Amino acid sequence: MLQLDIDNVSVSYDAETVLDAVSCCIHSGEFIGIIGPNGAGKTTLLRVVLGLLKPTKGSIARKDVVVGYVPQRGNLYSGAVPISVLEVVMLGANGSKAKAIQALAAVHMQSYAHKRFTELSGGQQQRVSIAKALAGSANVLILDEPTTGVDEHSQTEFYTLLRDLHAKGTTIIMVSHEVDTVLKLVTRVICLNRTILYDGPPEHFEADKYLPGAYMKYHLQLHHQHGDAHV
Amino acid sequence: MFEMLQYSFMVRALIAGVLVALVVPMLGSFLVARRYALISDSLAHVSLAGVGAGLLLGLTPIYVAVPVTVAGALLLEWLRQERRMSGDVSLAILMSSGLALAVVFANLARGANADFNSYLFGSITTTTLSDVITLAIISLLAALFVRFNYRTLLHIAYDEDSARIAGKRVALLNYLTVALTAAIVVLSLRIVGGLLMSAILVMPVVTASRFSTSFGATIRYAIVFALLSVITGLSIAFYAGVAAGGAIVLAALALLIGTVIWKK
Repeated sequence: MLQLDIDNVSVSYDAETVLDAVSCCIHSGEFIGIIGPNGAGKTTLLRVVLGLLKPTKGSIARKDVVVGYVPQRGNLYSGAVPISVLEVVMLGANGSKAKAIQALAAVHMQSYAHKRFTELSGGQQQRVSIAKALAGSANVLILDEPTTGVDEHSQTEFYTLLRDLHAKGTTIIMVSHEVDTVLKLVTRVICLNRTILYDGPPEHFEADKYLPGAYMKYHLQLHHQHGDAHV
Repeated sequence: MFEMLQYSFMVRALIAGVLVALVVPMLGSFLVARRYALISDSLAHVSLAGVGAGLLLGLTPIYVAVPVTVAGALLLEWLRQERRMSGDVSLAILMSSGLALAVVFANLARGANADFNSYLFGSITTTTLSDVITLAIISLLAALFVRFNYRTLLHIAYDEDSARIAGKRVALLNYLTVALTAAIVVLSLRIVGGLLMSAILVMPVVTASRFSTSFGATIRYAIVFALLSVITGLSIAFYAGVAAGGAIVLAALALLIGTVIWKK
């Protein structure tokens, strides 16, 4: 079933075009990885899909979509006033404590309900963000670089959780720099560099062809430092 | 303690102080969580410009300061939301512009300097019955605003983008929050003083944060710490004859230092 119809979307700031005539359809149950070099417009595309940014041209049609959003780790709450994990998830559950506890259990974080959100590790914070989305009955999960700065073990756990959610029918759209991981995890790859360079199954994606050499070299160096892919 | 209650000016100051202590942490917790705590300082400086203009024009200073400060607050929020000006830059511009206007207006309004000083540092003798009534009305409005919008305000403090995605009326609530903060700041000038305003907004919240693990508990503890600071500070101001604002802020600071030592 069609959930999102992105039709000829362009975004420009002054004279600079950040997204150029991007079109694609997203169906329920898909697991989409959006990859591309820095400045390719990945986050801009997410912000348009989320309704946070109005495209300069084109349109987005949504059908029976309840979006759950997991921001980059750097954008997660880090304020000086404590917010408990339960309070965070209840924000997604429209104030329902029972729904919030159920959602925390789904991501195996129920024992952390009364901890401060800022005391959790990066991976745990991302799981709580997913619980917040689930508590709001999200059927489309949108994640922006969710594992950046998260340790290897937590990344593996996090990706297992995403696989489980996908298996249960949740549509997942994830922006990531982890090309190798994305290719092993998703059912469809969208490679973006201001416009769509590749849109198809991961097994047919040729990284050397679509991603700049410098980006791939940097990416491989990162893997060399941190070990192999984390799936 | 009870001797000071025999003076009507002191009773008015205490009632106004208690109202400030009840309502400032309610709004302050959301502002501190959003790293927007210095807004109270910027708005206090703008309110001093309003006070200066009132003294210059021979009008009741507070009644000029309230609309001027609310307008400044709305401008600040508009710059942040619509013009994407970073919070600290717009706060700095507003703060220095407000104080510059305040100094010039106060100088032009010759003979009013003593009165102007009471707005800078707070004074226990200058709070009028009309100040107390106006503060009570605005405090009630602010408390009702927080009560009925608590979850959305918390959502905005947690992550403004995710609140927008959830369909919350983020822009409207942000404008209302800064407008109410502006009104409370102006009406607190008599007690706390314009130059010490951010301390009473920030310190009780930071002290409370050391004890709590949740946002709701932080607000409740912050109100207790603010009440302790205000009552202690006003008592010191009465018996030692010092500026009320300074005494209140030092009491709040003592509580903060005490909790830091106690809960290392």
